[in-house]
Amino acid sequence: MMSFSERMLKIDRRIIFLVIGLCTLLPLLYPVGLPIKISSEVRGVYDHIESLPEHSVFLLSIDFDPASKPELYPQAIALLRHAFKKKLRVITMTLWVSGTGMADQLVTQVAKEMGKEYGQDYAFLGWSPGGPAVIINMGQDLSSAFPSDYSGRSTKDLPVLEGVRSLKDMTYMVSLGAGKPGVEEWYVFGKDKYKFEMGGGCTGVMAPGLYPLLRSGQINGLIGGLRGAAEYESLIGQKGKAVAGMDAQSATHFAIIVLVIMCNAFYFSLRQQRG
Amino acid sequence: MTMPFELIVGAWVATGLTLLIFTFLYKDNPLFKLAEHLYVGVSVGYIIVKTYDTVIVHLVVKPIIDNGEVALLVPVAIGMLMLTRYVPKAAWMSRYAFAFIVGMGAGLAIPRTISSFILKQIEDTVRPLLSLAGPDGVTFSMNLLNPASNLNALIILFGVGSVLFYFFFSIEHSGAGKAVARTGVIFLMISFGAGFGYTVMARMSLLIGRLTDLIEFSDASYGRPTIWLSVLIIGTLIVLGRRTKPTPPEV
Repeated sequence: MMSFSERMLKIDRRIIFLVIGLCTLLPLLYPVGLPIKISSEVRGVYDHIESLPEHSVFLLSIDFDPASKPELYPQAIALLRHAFKKKLRVITMTLWVSGTGMADQLVTQVAKEMGKEYGQDYAFLGWSPGGPAVIINMGQDLSSAFPSDYSGRSTKDLPVLEGVRSLKDMTYMVSLGAGKPGVEEWYVFGKDKYKFEMGGGCTGVMAPGLYPLLRSGQINGLIGGLRGAAEYESLIGQKGKAVAGMDAQSATHFAIIVLVIMCNAFYFSLRQQRG
Repeated sequence: MTMPFELIVGAWVATGLTLLIFTFLYKDNPLFKLAEHLYVGVSVGYIIVKTYDTVIVHLVVKPIIDNGEVALLVPVAIGMLMLTRYVPKAAWMSRYAFAFIVGMGAGLAIPRTISSFILKQIEDTVRPLLSLAGPDGVTFSMNLLNPASNLNALIILFGVGSVLFYFFFSIEHSGAGKAVARTGVIFLMISFGAGFGYTVMARMSLLIGRLTDLIEFSDASYGRPTIWLSVLIIGTLIVLGRRTKPTPPEV
């Protein structure tokens, strides 16, 4: 007959799915409002945008597609709200063809909410093929990389791009990347070559790989995953979907820690029984 | 305020596809397969249409016809050479296009990667272990939370040194060498642990994102697609489960 430890180690995995599902669902339905501590890496991006004077040029590259929407969409919303609030000239684009429609919807939605006018206060350049080659091309001549914006208007005629000829004219740049091309490519082919200040945002999976760039000062801030988005939402004082998801995140992490401890306890108990 | 029709349709489609994908958690089934194939098909279709519109129409055809930029025919010709791979007798011509792409890619990437990921990272790793304080004194800052502290510089030195030694296979890892290699393994384990922790956080974030939408779409203003489609999908799974039950072999 199987011992209790043996039965627990052979438990139907669907029970674990159910436990994780409930730990996620219940805090979303009944939020507790656990405190959110602001990390220095997220504050790095916030403080830099906060320090920019009005009408500075802020480039946001939305380098993700709907597959990474839950983590990066709230980051993009929070950054755009902050940039519009600071009255910066906001230039947006994407290096991911599969994210073009989503990026357009995102920028239009936040601009409408903040009462901004297309062409005057912001622009969405769309997507251009080539990945890193687009970044190099933008570093040489912006209008050659993007002759027209997403809606087909000539970029040379957009008032928001007045005086902006290349990446060297960008005051600050943030890439929200879910892979390649993303933050690393913007650093390697953009900032390192054309010398502009840069921050990054990424999915949780990518964050550990980008910390070396942060520590060495190659990027001045990093927003990592939904947690980073929640911190940024708290900083700008406009709590949204990321903050709402933090209770669920904490609950699932707690459940996973408990499951790991239980699994180890049952494993060692079984090993002891078998001698 | 009434909800726009396209938003309601979008909510029903998103809810349905999310629930169909979630059915895989129970077991592999035709409903999951349907959603999976739809995802692949729609993604590829979207990419083809966007690429055609942006590249062929807006970056090639329009500039040539409207502005007479005939120089664009050169990259077009190089790109067309790729298609010769489908004609066995002319396939050799595609090598010129590949040679151009590989040569240009390597030329662009190698110097920039060496500068950004090797030289800059070495520069950051080789930091002074003691800081100068005043004209004739040195200090050692112990603050673990400050990335620039001397203690962290020392930890990084030990970490990089021991991990590099672990991957140095020319001498046997025994005696003192074994201790250094073991230290390297500990640093690697900590790194993998941090990576795994972030991965768990990312996957849970995706689940939170879908559940947030499902909760939103259970509202009456959308017609409660979460509730109706959950009932429909569970019912379908039960019917499918009964139909595919194995029949006992005849004696």
